[in-house]
Amino acid sequence: MWTAYMNSLIVAGVSVLVNLIAVMLGGYALSKGKFKGKGALILIILGTMMIPFETRMIPMFKMFFKANMVNTFAPLILPQIIDGFGLIMAKNFFDKLPDSLGEAARIDGAGPFRVFALVYLPLSTPIMATIVILKFMASWNDFLWPLVILTGDQTRTVPIFISAFSQEGGTRMAGSTMCVAFLGIIPVVIVFLLLQKYIIQSIALSGVKGE
Amino acid sequence: MQTCKSGSLALRRKNAVWYLFMLPSIVGIVLFMAYPIIEVVRLSFFKSNGTVETFNGLANFKYILGNEAFRKSIFNTFFITFFQLLISVPVGFLIALAINSIVKGKNFLKTLFFIPYVTPAIAAGTLFLFILHPNGILNQFLGWFGLPAVSWLENGMTARCGAVLMGIWRSLGFNIIIFLAYLQTISPEYYEAAYVDGCSRWQAHCHITFPQMKGAFSFLIIMGWINGMQRFTDVYALGGMTGSPARSLHTIVGFIYERGFGNYEFGIASAASCVLFVLILLFTLLNLRFTREEKPTRRKNL
Repeated sequence: MWTAYMNSLIVAGVSVLVNLIAVMLGGYALSKGKFKGKGALILIILGTMMIPFETRMIPMFKMFFKANMVNTFAPLILPQIIDGFGLIMAKNFFDKLPDSLGEAARIDGAGPFRVFALVYLPLSTPIMATIVILKFMASWNDFLWPLVILTGDQTRTVPIFISAFSQEGGTRMAGSTMCVAFLGIIPVVIVFLLLQKYIIQSIALSGVKGE
Repeated sequence: MQTCKSGSLALRRKNAVWYLFMLPSIVGIVLFMAYPIIEVVRLSFFKSNGTVETFNGLANFKYILGNEAFRKSIFNTFFITFFQLLISVPVGFLIALAINSIVKGKNFLKTLFFIPYVTPAIAAGTLFLFILHPNGILNQFLGWFGLPAVSWLENGMTARCGAVLMGIWRSLGFNIIIFLAYLQTISPEYYEAAYVDGCSRWQAHCHITFPQMKGAFSFLIIMGWINGMQRFTDVYALGGMTGSPARSLHTIVGFIYERGFGNYEFGIASAASCVLFVLILLFTLLNLRFTREEKPTRRKNL
């Protein structure tokens, strides 16, 4: 059981990191950047949000199968670099920050990365907190993709563990299964209770359902 | 004083930096979006088990559209989603109205209702295995009201109702939060003006509350359908890979999973994925059409 917790924690933690980096960089570029094809890129990103994961699931599996990465954590973490929703949220956030801050820094000779890292990034803690919370919960609760990719006993994440446990040896609806399910819920509920103000706020603002 | 850098080489170099910023997202989209979509469409025309492929034309599509299990999975998915939305959206609205008029304890109630939404679907599903058991909590609850116990998971139709119940339990909190967010945008002055003019509570709701809530209702219904189409995890916990009993808990995604990763029939699973995508696309376009109607019409500048 504890292996499952550790697995879920590692996957969720690294996923959040990877996602945060990609989304903050991308959202900033979509907001403050001026480059060719920006409008088209935004449309493409909006379009990707319409495509359900199940449709991409099979080729992604084949891809990782050919790369011999089935049953590792990489397939769970790498796809986190695309997050249309996070990009749009970050873009909207950066849109609200004034351009003048960046221009002032650039007059003082800072390059674009410096402007980003030293001026805008420190101001973006609210949106980073929102993304971290939403992404962490989504990653922890993710079931279908880990079910497909993680085939071993040792690599199971918590949701897979609960499911496997309850289906071992017929439907074992005894106390132990309920206990396991309950233990699976507790960490998320605790995190939620601690951060509930932020979570409810961000979901109300974004209005998107996770799985 | 810096001289103005307006030469085209410098401009191109400047623009190039932004591409670096977008690099992770672009790489991700190509690898995990563009390629899989092309591949899934391609695979649906083949008979494949992952390594051996033979071209099949439209045979996969003909097969699944005529397949009893696939048709049943579409029926299940629609049935469960429809009834879940039918009950969960209005009830959520009523509860949100009630919470909105309470002075103290709003946050506590919000949190309480929201907890089912954040639980992992699989854990909630497993718990419902227990709740829907013949000796489980739900039947005991029915017993208090003198209603007969139902063996929820024995029978196809009752199993679907159990899934509907589970869906309502999970989605109620989300609906309430969205309704509350919309309710809080209605200025109390409207109500005060209405009461001064002698409106009853019911009339006030009819003419003030409901029109403002149209946006919330349409959002929740469309999002509810789109998410319902993708339902898998919690009914998988109840019914396993074949959606027992009698395939009544088999959703469209369940079909895709069973064929793709149970039997390794990638061609058929891909065809089913394409059908699912078309269904979801239809609802997403509906969603866009509805939210576009909300925007105020532009006035011509006089």
